[in-house]
Amino acid sequence: MRILVVEDDAETAAYIVRGLEEAGHVVDRAADGQDGLFHATGGGHDVMVVDRMLPKLDGLSMVRAVRAAGIATPAIFLTARAGVGDRVEGLEAGGDDYLAKPFAFAELLARINALARRPPLQQELTVLRVGDLEMDLIRRIVTRAGKRIDLQPREFRLLEYLMRREGQVVTRTMLLEGVWDFHFDPKTSVVETHISRLRAKVDRGFDRDLIHTIRGAGYVVRADG
Amino acid sequence: MAEPRWAFARTTAFRVTLLHLLLTIAGTLLVGGGAWWATVGFGARQAAQEIERGMGVLLQSGALSGPRGIALSIEARMAADRTGAEFYLLAGPDGQRIAGNLSGVPRDPGWREGTIRLPQGAEAPVLMLAAPLPGGGALVVGRDLSSVRALEQRLVSVAGWVGAAMLLLGLGGGLLIGRSVARRAAAMDAALAAVQGGDLDRRLAVGRGGDEFDRLAARINATLDRLQSLMTALRGVTDDIAHDLRTPLTRLRTRLDAAAVAPTGEAIAAAQQEADALLDIFAALLRIAQVESGTQRAGFTRVDLSAIATSVAEVFAPAAEDRGQIFATDIAPGITMTGDPALLTQMLANLAENAVRHGRNGGHILLAVGAAGLTITDDGPGIPADQHERAFRRFGRLDAARSTPGSGLGLALVRAVAELHGMTITLEDAAPGLRVRIALPGVR
Repeated sequence: MRILVVEDDAETAAYIVRGLEEAGHVVDRAADGQDGLFHATGGGHDVMVVDRMLPKLDGLSMVRAVRAAGIATPAIFLTARAGVGDRVEGLEAGGDDYLAKPFAFAELLARINALARRPPLQQELTVLRVGDLEMDLIRRIVTRAGKRIDLQPREFRLLEYLMRREGQVVTRTMLLEGVWDFHFDPKTSVVETHISRLRAKVDRGFDRDLIHTIRGAGYVVRADG
Repeated sequence: MAEPRWAFARTTAFRVTLLHLLLTIAGTLLVGGGAWWATVGFGARQAAQEIERGMGVLLQSGALSGPRGIALSIEARMAADRTGAEFYLLAGPDGQRIAGNLSGVPRDPGWREGTIRLPQGAEAPVLMLAAPLPGGGALVVGRDLSSVRALEQRLVSVAGWVGAAMLLLGLGGGLLIGRSVARRAAAMDAALAAVQGGDLDRRLAVGRGGDEFDRLAARINATLDRLQSLMTALRGVTDDIAHDLRTPLTRLRTRLDAAAVAPTGEAIAAAQQEADALLDIFAALLRIAQVESGTQRAGFTRVDLSAIATSVAEVFAPAAEDRGQIFATDIAPGITMTGDPALLTQMLANLAENAVRHGRNGGHILLAVGAAGLTITDDGPGIPADQHERAFRRFGRLDAARSTPGSGLGLALVRAVAELHGMTITLEDAAPGLRVRIALPGVR
C-alpha cells in the first residue's frame, strides 16, 4: 500500500515510517499541513495518517481541504487529545478513524489495514463465513460445521465484528470502541474475558481454532492456522 | 504603597464632584439670572414704562394746547410727585428751560441714563427719555433709578457670597469624598497586591454599609476564596503527582537499568509495562482535567441511563464471574437524563470495575438504576467513613488498596463526571461492603 504520513515530530514520524516500511508499505512523509495537502492532492495514496497539530496548516483543515478537493483517501488522525469532542470534530472534518497518542505501532497498523480494506459499499452481506463457521445476519443464527452455537447478543456482535474483518488483526481498543462503544481503556481485562468466552463457544470441541491471539497486537479470525 | 498627596484629585469621585459643582453653578446662574430679570429688570422696565406713559400724556397736552399746555401739565405732575422721583424738562427752540426740574437740554432725542445732582446735594441715577417737539424745542421725562440700583447692588454682593461659599463647599466636599474613595480604593489595592504577592489568606475589609464598595469587596473576597481553594487543590494534586508518579518513574528507571545490563525481551517488556502504566495515569489526569473544565457540557444530549447501565453490566459480568462474583442488576427501564453518553459510560464502567476489583472474591455486586439515580453495591471490605472524602481525591488511594493495581484516579473521574452532570455522589456503608450512590440532578 502507499501511505502518506503527515507528522511534524521527526522522531514519531521516523518511528511510523520505519514500522510501515517494515510491514511492506510505501511511505511518503510530509512534515507540515501544507506539504501534506500537496502530497495528498497528488493522489495515489491508499491511506493517510495525519497528526492533528501541524505547523502551517493543522490536520483538521488539511483533511477538510483534501475532502473539498474531492479526494476520498481514508484518513486516520493522530492526536495527543482524544476526548469525545475531539473525535467528533475529527470525523466531521472528513477523518475516518482516530488514534490517541501515544499508541502502539501494532494498533496503528491494524487500524490502517482495517481502513484500507474497508469494502467500498458493496451489497449488504447477509451471511458471513469463515471456514466452517457461518453467521446468518438476518436470522441471527451462528453455526459451526452445521452445529448451532448459542450466543448472547453481545457475543454475537463481537463475533460479527471479528468475522467482518476476517484475516485482519483487530486490537483491544478497536473491539472496545466497535463492540461496546467504550472510548477508554478499562483496567479490568474485559476484552480478554469476552474473547475467552466466545472462544469456548466457537472453538472448543472443534479440531481447528478460528479465533487467534496475536501477541502484543490483538485478535484475528481466520480459517487457516 | 505611598499615596501621592494629590492622588485624590485623580479619583473618579473627585472628578464627579467637580462636574457636579460645575452643573450646580450653571443652574444657580440660571436661577440668579431669573431673579435679576424679575427684580432689577422689572424695576427698570417699570420706570421706562412710566416714562413712556408720562411722555405720551405730555405730548398729547402739547398737541392740544401747545407748549403752554405741556408746561402746565409738568407743573401739575411735579406738584403731585411727593417722592421727588420724577424729572421733567421742557425746553424752547432756543434751548431755554420753560418748565421742569432738570437743567441742561440733551443733545439727542431717545433714551439715556445719567446722574443728577439733587437739590439736597445728593446724586441720583436717572433714566431719561428725550423727544423733540413739533414746533422746535424738546421735552425730557426722567425717573429716579436709585432703588433699582440699590437692589442691583445687593443682588450682586449676595451672588458673590453665595458663589464663593458654593465653590468652597463643592471643592471641600469633592476633596473629602475623593479622599475617602481614594483611601478605600488604596486599601483594596493594597490587599490585592498582598494576595498577588502570595499572601492568599489576605481578604478585603467589608464595611457594614452595604454600598457598592462593600459589595465589590465581598465579591472580590469570594473570588479570592475560590482562588485559594483552587490553589490548595492544585497544590494537593501537585504533591500527589510528585508522590505518586515518583514511584512508577523510579521503577521504570530501575527496569531500564536492568534492561541496559541484560537486554532480554522480558526486561524490556517490563519497562514498557511501567511506561504504559505511567501513560495511563497521564491520560486519566488529562481526562479528569478536561471533565472538570466543564467544556463537555456543550455536547450534552438525551441519554438513556438504563441502556448504558445494562451495557456496562453486560461487559463486566463475565469479569466478575471469573472472580466467582455474581454481578446482579436491578435496572428500571427508560431512565433518561441529559448528558454525555461516553462520559456516563466511563463513569459506570469505573464504578463497575471498582466493585469487581475491590469486592470480595465470590461476593455479590448489585447495580441498580431507578428514578432517583443509581447505586452500585459490593460486599467487599468497604471504605471507612472517615476515608470517604479521601477516596474521591486524585491518587486518593487508601493505604489498604495500595497493593492492588490501579492508579487511584477512577473515583476522582467518577466524581468529576457526576458533578459535570449535576449529580451528587455519596459513599455509604453497605455493611459489609461499599455502596456508591449517585443521585440524578434535582434528587436529594
